[in-house]
Amino acid sequence: MADIASTLSQLAGGLRFTLGIFFLTLLFSIPLGLLVARGRMSKNKIVSGIIRVYISIMRGTPLMLQLLLVYFGPYYIFAVKLSDLDVGPFKYRFVATIIGFSLNYAAYFAEIFRGGIQSMPVGQYEASQILGFTRMQTYFRIILPQVVKRVLPSVTNEVITLVKDTSLAQVLAVTEMFTTAKNLASAQVSVMPFIVAGVFYYVMNGVIEIVMNRAEKSMSYYS
Amino acid sequence: MNVLEMKNIHKSFDDLEVLKGIDLEVKKGEVVGIIGPSGGGKSTLLRCATTLERIDKGNISIAGETLVKTSNSGLTQYTDKKTMQQIRGRFGLVFQNFNLFPHFSVRRNITEALIHVHKKSREEADSICDDLLKKLGMEDKADAYPCNLSGGQQQRVSIARALAVNPDILFFDEPTSALDPELTSGILKVIRELAEEHMTMVIVTHEMVFARDVADKLVFMDGGVIVEQGKDIISNPQKERTREFLAGY
Repeated sequence: MADIASTLSQLAGGLRFTLGIFFLTLLFSIPLGLLVARGRMSKNKIVSGIIRVYISIMRGTPLMLQLLLVYFGPYYIFAVKLSDLDVGPFKYRFVATIIGFSLNYAAYFAEIFRGGIQSMPVGQYEASQILGFTRMQTYFRIILPQVVKRVLPSVTNEVITLVKDTSLAQVLAVTEMFTTAKNLASAQVSVMPFIVAGVFYYVMNGVIEIVMNRAEKSMSYYS
Repeated sequence: MNVLEMKNIHKSFDDLEVLKGIDLEVKKGEVVGIIGPSGGGKSTLLRCATTLERIDKGNISIAGETLVKTSNSGLTQYTDKKTMQQIRGRFGLVFQNFNLFPHFSVRRNITEALIHVHKKSREEADSICDDLLKKLGMEDKADAYPCNLSGGQQQRVSIARALAVNPDILFFDEPTSALDPELTSGILKVIRELAEEHMTMVIVTHEMVFARDVADKLVFMDGGVIVEQGKDIISNPQKERTREFLAGY
């Protein structure tokens, strides 16, 4: 019993990092994804070309490898000492994790947003233009709210994947929940910590499903 | 005074010349009906007049403001952004497929531009909205969403939305083409009532009887040119092409 109690409390400690990676990644990757989507749809061929390559690389290579590159890149490529790169109380290994995750997820979100934006009927833009709305007003009042409704199911998918992907931070030795579970399992010679960690992930995603379902429902008043 | 003046309008899409030098004048209080076969350039003309398409050559002015002109040297230049926004505030356009904002209630569809473009207070916008809905027999639908309305009701809302800014001229792009005959007659009645109030209107339509009854001037377009225009071209067409087209009705 003491084992389970200490397992739980240690996993809860790891959970702080898991939640930290999760929320910070969403915080940065969603706005970044919107910007990337705009860049991808840019009429400027150079901009859209660069964004296209960026998305292709982010989706075409493992996130784990990207994390390693963000972490070790500054030192091996630019000879910058990592300890100089700590941001406030956060060690660079955690900062690198957030940067890597945000860049990666922004690419996926961007493609989802692009799909949503491009599925909007041109008549919505035309009606807005005739009524005298500026481009910003059209985007934020007319287009974006409808795009949110259209992309929500796909976004839910990504968010759920993100919960599970946080375990990849172990490659940078961030002591998130999965790393903690692995350490406990080998110390206790037991699969119990893995099972408990699994339940944690599952419960988190259960909460996400409930929240996203509510969000979808709150927008179901129109079609 | 002419509310709309279009002179020598040319417009091409890639290699296809859709408008080949159109002249159109609409006086204050006048109702102009534009008829003709599909692909003849009617809708394109309307889209050029309402800034949705840019012309290649020609002059357009709306309510005395120059939207675009071609100088003697052949340079076609649109007015600055600010004037363009002002001009857009002077006219309304009713689309064939309504183009209402589905995420806004009927009230917000009508008041959003009043509040955020024309800077009216919410109270003022609401009272304009209530008056229009009452006039169009929709006073009980202010809080409904477009998806819960029939096509005819949606088109009424879109007419109300266009009227809300008190435009100098109202354009209709085949306003009944997406409606069944029963709903069509309701919308045509609304437009007739606006005509009786001497609203200046340009209506692209395939409803010949309606066009003949309501329009002060009819314009028959085909192949990117105005073939014939006048009050009586439906009852008494002069050109062979007009006769041929009308024989189909």
